[in-house]
Amino acid sequence: MVKPIFKLFAFALLLLSGLARAAEAEPVRFALIDPLTGPMSVVGQPALAQLQFTAERLNKEGGMNGHDIQIVGYDNKINPQESLVQLQKAIDDGIRFIIQGNGSSVGSALLSAVNKHNQRNPGDRVLYLNYAAIEPSFTNERCSFWHFRFDSHVDMKMNMLTDWIAGNQDFKKVFLINQDYSFGHTVSESARNMLKKKRPDIEVVGNTFHPLGKVKDFSPYISKIKSSGADVVITGNWGQDINLLIKSAAEYGVDVPFLTYYGSTPGTITQVGDKGVDRVYLIAEYHGDFTDPEIAERQVNLYKEKGWDYYPRVAAMLEMMKKAGDQAGSIDPLAVAKALEGLEYDAAAGHLTMRAEDHQLQMPLYLSVLKDNMKYGAEGTNYNFHQVARFDADQAALPTTCRMRRPG
Amino acid sequence: MSKRFSSWRLGMPWVAVLMVLLLIPVVVASNGTFSIINVIAIHIVFALSYNMLLGQGGMLSFGHAVFFGLGAYAAIHVMNLIGDASYEGHGLWAHFPVFLLPLIGFFAGALAATVVGWPFSRRAGTAFAMITLGLGELVAAGSQMFPSVFGGEAGVFSNRMVGPIWFGLELAQPAQVYGFMAFWTFVAALAMWAFTRTPLGRMSNAVRDNPDRLQFIGYQQRNIRFLVFIAAGGFGGLAGGMAAVNYEIVTPESLGLLTSGLALLMAAVGGLGVFYGPVVGAVLVTLMNSLLSDYTDASVLYVGVVFLLVVMFAPSGVAGGFEQVRLAWRRGDLGVRLPGWLSSALAVVLYSSGLVATVELIYQISHGKDKLARSLGFEADPASPLVWLVIAALLAAGYGVSKAGKRYREVNA
Repeated sequence: MVKPIFKLFAFALLLLSGLARAAEAEPVRFALIDPLTGPMSVVGQPALAQLQFTAERLNKEGGMNGHDIQIVGYDNKINPQESLVQLQKAIDDGIRFIIQGNGSSVGSALLSAVNKHNQRNPGDRVLYLNYAAIEPSFTNERCSFWHFRFDSHVDMKMNMLTDWIAGNQDFKKVFLINQDYSFGHTVSESARNMLKKKRPDIEVVGNTFHPLGKVKDFSPYISKIKSSGADVVITGNWGQDINLLIKSAAEYGVDVPFLTYYGSTPGTITQVGDKGVDRVYLIAEYHGDFTDPEIAERQVNLYKEKGWDYYPRVAAMLEMMKKAGDQAGSIDPLAVAKALEGLEYDAAAGHLTMRAEDHQLQMPLYLSVLKDNMKYGAEGTNYNFHQVARFDADQAALPTTCRMRRPG
Repeated sequence: MSKRFSSWRLGMPWVAVLMVLLLIPVVVASNGTFSIINVIAIHIVFALSYNMLLGQGGMLSFGHAVFFGLGAYAAIHVMNLIGDASYEGHGLWAHFPVFLLPLIGFFAGALAATVVGWPFSRRAGTAFAMITLGLGELVAAGSQMFPSVFGGEAGVFSNRMVGPIWFGLELAQPAQVYGFMAFWTFVAALAMWAFTRTPLGRMSNAVRDNPDRLQFIGYQQRNIRFLVFIAAGGFGGLAGGMAAVNYEIVTPESLGLLTSGLALLMAAVGGLGVFYGPVVGAVLVTLMNSLLSDYTDASVLYVGVVFLLVVMFAPSGVAGGFEQVRLAWRRGDLGVRLPGWLSSALAVVLYSSGLVATVELIYQISHGKDKLARSLGFEADPASPLVWLVIAALLAAGYGVSKAGKRYREVNA
């Protein structure tokens, strides 16, 4: 006789707690549309882990304008068409903040889809928060009020890489090796233009393109680099193309700096390991020294909890979203977007500003090099990137051609 | 009398399809559902066009995405032309409705197939497969080198809300795009079905089954393959044109090997030997691709396993299974055969639930619980031996059922 009553009581309690929750503010939900399954999930899962990790902390601090932050993952298999299906699913689920980063083709599809959605549904706006698609046009000729980029684009990063090369008088010969597709060509062109302007005496001794993701043996390319006598190599390679390139360089004793965009893609450090030490340089928003003890603690905790390394700019993006929501006093996308314009934020890496003109985040950049026996290793190893140079946000800034249409 | 009866029999399924297409907007309301249905529609046409090659013509192609992609690129460039022309207010393209863009895709696909098809059609089999693989890689690699045509990594994007409006379809929301999709899917499927009933369609079956004999009775197998290749390329391009309107963006991925593989996967899972097989396959594979990953991190594995199982144990595909049941029913021996089929179906269910439970448990150990486990109320603890016992029992039950049902299945053999 006791049991049914007990059950009823438990049920009532459950119901009441449900009601109490409903009385609280509705959560504000963010959709992460990125590869979450399959071989490319190594670039999507860390972002998901970071977002959930940061959301948990921010929710303890009151969430975004009093609303709990929830992260929902949508798997796009890094395919632009599939991303649009997932975008529609997210919008249907009532999500108004879309986060994406990997692949400029996906970014391009989402950018135009979000623009069209907002144009066709004026009462129901969606924001696109981009943390890694660094095609320059997104904040130049294709800039949009509904798109915010929380990473420096290709040209800004190249601007700093070439500054660093130009500042070192020992460098006389530069070698460019890139994947043979649009991004690789952008990197190469950008490098040549900037070097010509900054240091006309530097000679570009090689400008090679290799097939994307198909080269198994980089030794012919490495011997080309070696025989060219290059002092420094610039590459936009990612995935296995960077791993194999670095390994091959180590085997042939090519001991020049390899300036990379994606030397820290998950898996690279584990695979390259010792061969990358003092060879792989990285231009990014932070470094692996973790001089800020608070961030260092988070790095340790995140790795313990989820098995991924700290993703500074993804964390900063969510923190900025919270700040914008708090400032706007609302979680309405339009109000949040207006608050984001010109928003300033102090992150571990330095002072960040979301430039209102083109919605391109202005942030300091760091050049770092892979070292062994670091205090905070990446991917559970002892390797991580040690700071070589820091560039202020002003120095990294580039003018924009953006002429933005703003909603009334 | 019998002639009229047979034409009624032929027409009936199409009337039923039309009814379903008309009923969908009554039942479905959300834009998300419509956008998945629209993708299914594109994939249906794409898979059917692929089956013209493989199922009907016996040509295993790994490069069918080339025609899909080129059709899509042609359509999206024309869409941009329509946009520019209607902005200026004059010009030929200002009068061309977006509704007819799949036709542009059709001509582009057929043209591409005509240009490259002649040398390909000399042989079927491995040689054909290798050549189409090469073509696919060639075009996919080439597309990255001509950014002015293919838009580089970011692709070519456009806006479908331009030009004259037909049938009141403004094409703003996925629900309106559905009208467009339903029309073209119906027209394309009907046309491809009609093609199978033309003399050429029949000859393509013959060239699949016995090319030498065909040669003896005076047909050039190469000519027939070439014509089928062109038709398949055209319908592949038509699907590409539908995709261009649906996504409003075309990227070089759509020309690549993955897209070609998708066509093969859909056609094979659905069934190569039955006309509506690829339709079933397109529905299943699209749903698996778009929805399964919401529930489980192992979705890619499951899709792969399904493909593997179909190829190994049900080479005639899902629709082939339907067709067997239907034929047995018409012959009147369904009662004899059903126990065998049901017992193997039960065995498959038991085996696969054992397998799914194992996979989910292993995932749980390495990554924590995913949504499938949670939504099934999967409260199992991988450390407890009881759970593994249950899995072992499931697998054993599957084995037992398949053993016990053997007697019934022998009737079917």
